[in-house]
Amino acid sequence: MTRLICILMACAALAAQPALAQPAPPAKGGDYRVGDRLAPAAKGAPAQYRQITWDDLIPPDWRPEDLFKDFDLGSMTDRDPRAMEMMQKLREAWDRAPVIERMNGQRVRIPGFVVPLENEGDTIREFLLVPYFGACIHVPPPPANQLIHVMPDEPIPGKWNMGPVWVSGVLTVARFDSELGNAGYQLRGIKVEEYKEPMPR
Amino acid sequence: MTPLWHLTRKSIANRRLTVALTVAAVALAVAMLLGVERLRNDAREGFAQTISGTDLVVGARSGPLQLLLYSVFHIGNATNNVSWASLQKIAAHPQVAWLVPLSLGDSHRGFRVVGTTADYFEHYRHGRDHRLRFVAGKPFAGLFEAVVGAEVAVQLGYRPGARIVLSHGSGETSFAGHDDKPFTVAGVLARTGTPVDRSVLVSLQAIEAVHVDWAGGAPMPGVSIPPEFVTRFDLEPKAVTAALVGLKSRIAVFRVQRFVNEFRDEPLLAVLPGATLQEMWGLIGVVERALLAVSALVVLVGLAGLVAVVVASLGERRRELAILRALGASPAQVFLLLALESVVMSVLGCLLGLALVLAVAALAGPWLQAHYGLLLSAGAPSATEWALLGGVLLAALLASLVPAVRAYRYSLADGMTIRI
Amino acid sequence: MPGAARASIDAQAAPAATRNGLPPAVAFRDVSFRWPRAAHACLAIDDFHVAAGECVFLHGPSGSGKSTLLSLVGGVVAPERGSVAVLGRDLAGLRTGARDRFRADHIGFIFQLFNLIPYLSALDNIVLPCRFSPARRARVAAVGAQPQAEALRLAARLDLDRSLLARPAAELSVGQQQRVAAARALIGRPGLVIADEPTSALDADRQRAFLDLLLAECAAAGASLLFVSHDPRLAEHFDRVVALAAINRAAAAEVTA
Repeated sequence: MTRLICILMACAALAAQPALAQPAPPAKGGDYRVGDRLAPAAKGAPAQYRQITWDDLIPPDWRPEDLFKDFDLGSMTDRDPRAMEMMQKLREAWDRAPVIERMNGQRVRIPGFVVPLENEGDTIREFLLVPYFGACIHVPPPPANQLIHVMPDEPIPGKWNMGPVWVSGVLTVARFDSELGNAGYQLRGIKVEEYKEPMPR
Repeated sequence: MTPLWHLTRKSIANRRLTVALTVAAVALAVAMLLGVERLRNDAREGFAQTISGTDLVVGARSGPLQLLLYSVFHIGNATNNVSWASLQKIAAHPQVAWLVPLSLGDSHRGFRVVGTTADYFEHYRHGRDHRLRFVAGKPFAGLFEAVVGAEVAVQLGYRPGARIVLSHGSGETSFAGHDDKPFTVAGVLARTGTPVDRSVLVSLQAIEAVHVDWAGGAPMPGVSIPPEFVTRFDLEPKAVTAALVGLKSRIAVFRVQRFVNEFRDEPLLAVLPGATLQEMWGLIGVVERALLAVSALVVLVGLAGLVAVVVASLGERRRELAILRALGASPAQVFLLLALESVVMSVLGCLLGLALVLAVAALAGPWLQAHYGLLLSAGAPSATEWALLGGVLLAALLASLVPAVRAYRYSLADGMTIRI
Repeated sequence: MPGAARASIDAQAAPAATRNGLPPAVAFRDVSFRWPRAAHACLAIDDFHVAAGECVFLHGPSGSGKSTLLSLVGGVVAPERGSVAVLGRDLAGLRTGARDRFRADHIGFIFQLFNLIPYLSALDNIVLPCRFSPARRARVAAVGAQPQAEALRLAARLDLDRSLLARPAAELSVGQQQRVAAARALIGRPGLVIADEPTSALDADRQRAFLDLLLAECAAAGASLLFVSHDPRLAEHFDRVVALAAINRAAAAEVTA
């Protein structure tokens, strides 16, 4: 049953992406649960950065949930080999998630959660920016076009670990596996700020 | 202000003993506060710059923190091993750029022995992507060759060519030695400030070789295979303790992590070293803050004692204050006089405390590191340390108001004359 | 000059309002003073003068308001009503800070006991007023001396041995301390010296000697002297004798109340 739920969750997460992305309600400060997303920002971005959302990083014609079109997920059990095969196919699709070439070189501002890669004393020198809390323990992990490898100009405070931040900088598309055509987003973080909840209206 | 300075100096000199005791109390408290902050910072610094450039650490499934601690920091032990076959499959993953296996379990006079490949010297980085450097010799090439870390070389006086013997287990003494298969030191590494300094590095084959006549963790009785013959055995390792993995792109880290975590052939665990370290700080952070809070309280106690001493002396100084009034001192000047005395004593205490910390760090630092693994650098105070000192001085300033206000009130009430 | 003038113990003996063209050292007019928590005024003085350069003996038993009067002259407290003028300056017109500075510049005090800062040397004690008062320093410099040298000169005039001066004040005998206090009061030629029972702690034979020294030095410095004591036997050396009980209406009121 758990496997089925995983598939359903994965589909839900993916289906929520394009166009009508309705994020989960923002958690109270600092107290995030796995899967929580950040609310759309209330304040505007500084002039030279274009504020984007995670949906903007997905090519509009990429719809992996089409894989499930012909399946009736409700009637499958966890151990059903078709469910497992589905899971596998989904993962592969997410691994090969395409990026939007147009984003290369753009100055953007995007919010996300910090997953540290390199530390220095009390600070974090290099990190991955993920769209929702607990991405490393969430199965399956986010698709390749929903991850950003950030290299900030200044190391950020260690206490922002697993916390939400705004990153403003120059987005690039990096190719790292020419045979399979894999690519991902990198961001030179010119400015990293702590994410504060927008004021309730 | 000149008469006040003159009077303050003479007044403090007159009460030398009491002043010295209170200043010493404040100095000790300040030294403790700064010492705790320095230890905390140095520990973090030391841990954080131990490993760099490694995307994943792979080991048998235990807990993320435990895996990181035993594989990279040589603290604690693994619960289980990783089979060589599994590692081969992981190394074959399209996203994996390099893989360095680690085999732990032996020691040499208290220092950990790490079995690894020549790739270790290529891919192990620390600090800001610094590579390992050799101050003497070169990486191990022959079967019974070893490379020692800087601390090992200094403490045991090793140079290339020295003969060493490994022991089984990780304690300082071992009753199960590999005496029959001695090693030669091939190279000595430069100091890194990481656990590598306290390691002895040998090849994976060497680890197999010394255990070739062992079974189940003990030498087989009656069996002893001389070193010359070990090469006839298959020295390819069957299992290792952990592995460091580097990927072609960091974006792929979750994907490969998931691949390892869901590996069917055996239960494995892959962790992001950076993220796991930060988690550790999160846990320790509570203790650190508690320690700092306690130290701050001790400083406050020291300052309270100082103020109490000054206030207690006020009773017998009322006549002196009246004389000063007669000489033309205003109540404000009397206020300043008493405040100045407290502040001067507090400043002396702070400076003495700072000097104490620096002295202890300079004199006892190396000893602490060698015996307890505690890093305590003797460098100039950091910004946080100056901030802490500033906070102490601010508290001292506020505390000095107590005797000053008291003296002010006395001089207003008494005027020039008090009942004898 | 301290004359051998014998004046009757009579508060109404009116002195010259000015002498040699200088304003009176002390001038009280319609002064009334009450301590904050007291029910009645403790001082009510219509008229009290000390002329420039005059030596006045103020006679009054303990508790009759002498200390209060001295505090008023010193500018430590201000009267409820009336005016207190010292050396021609009305103290009421000055703010507290200015009064403190005025006191430092122009008035020297000698008390009965514990005159000195115990942890300073005798010499340091004598020089102390110069640290508080630039005016005194200036007056010392005007005669071409440094405060330390002037202190030594005064000490010598007051019969103090040089060897005593380096010792902490607490180590000197009472007599020596009183003389150090006198030197301190006189350094820098203040216009007014106020002595509150300075001889009461001394032996009888020493009292006379101290008094002579004090009067001589006041004359030399051209300072007025207001000498308060309960012992009338000392009165004969002074220009004028005033009884506090006679000039203080509040004392009379208390007696009759």
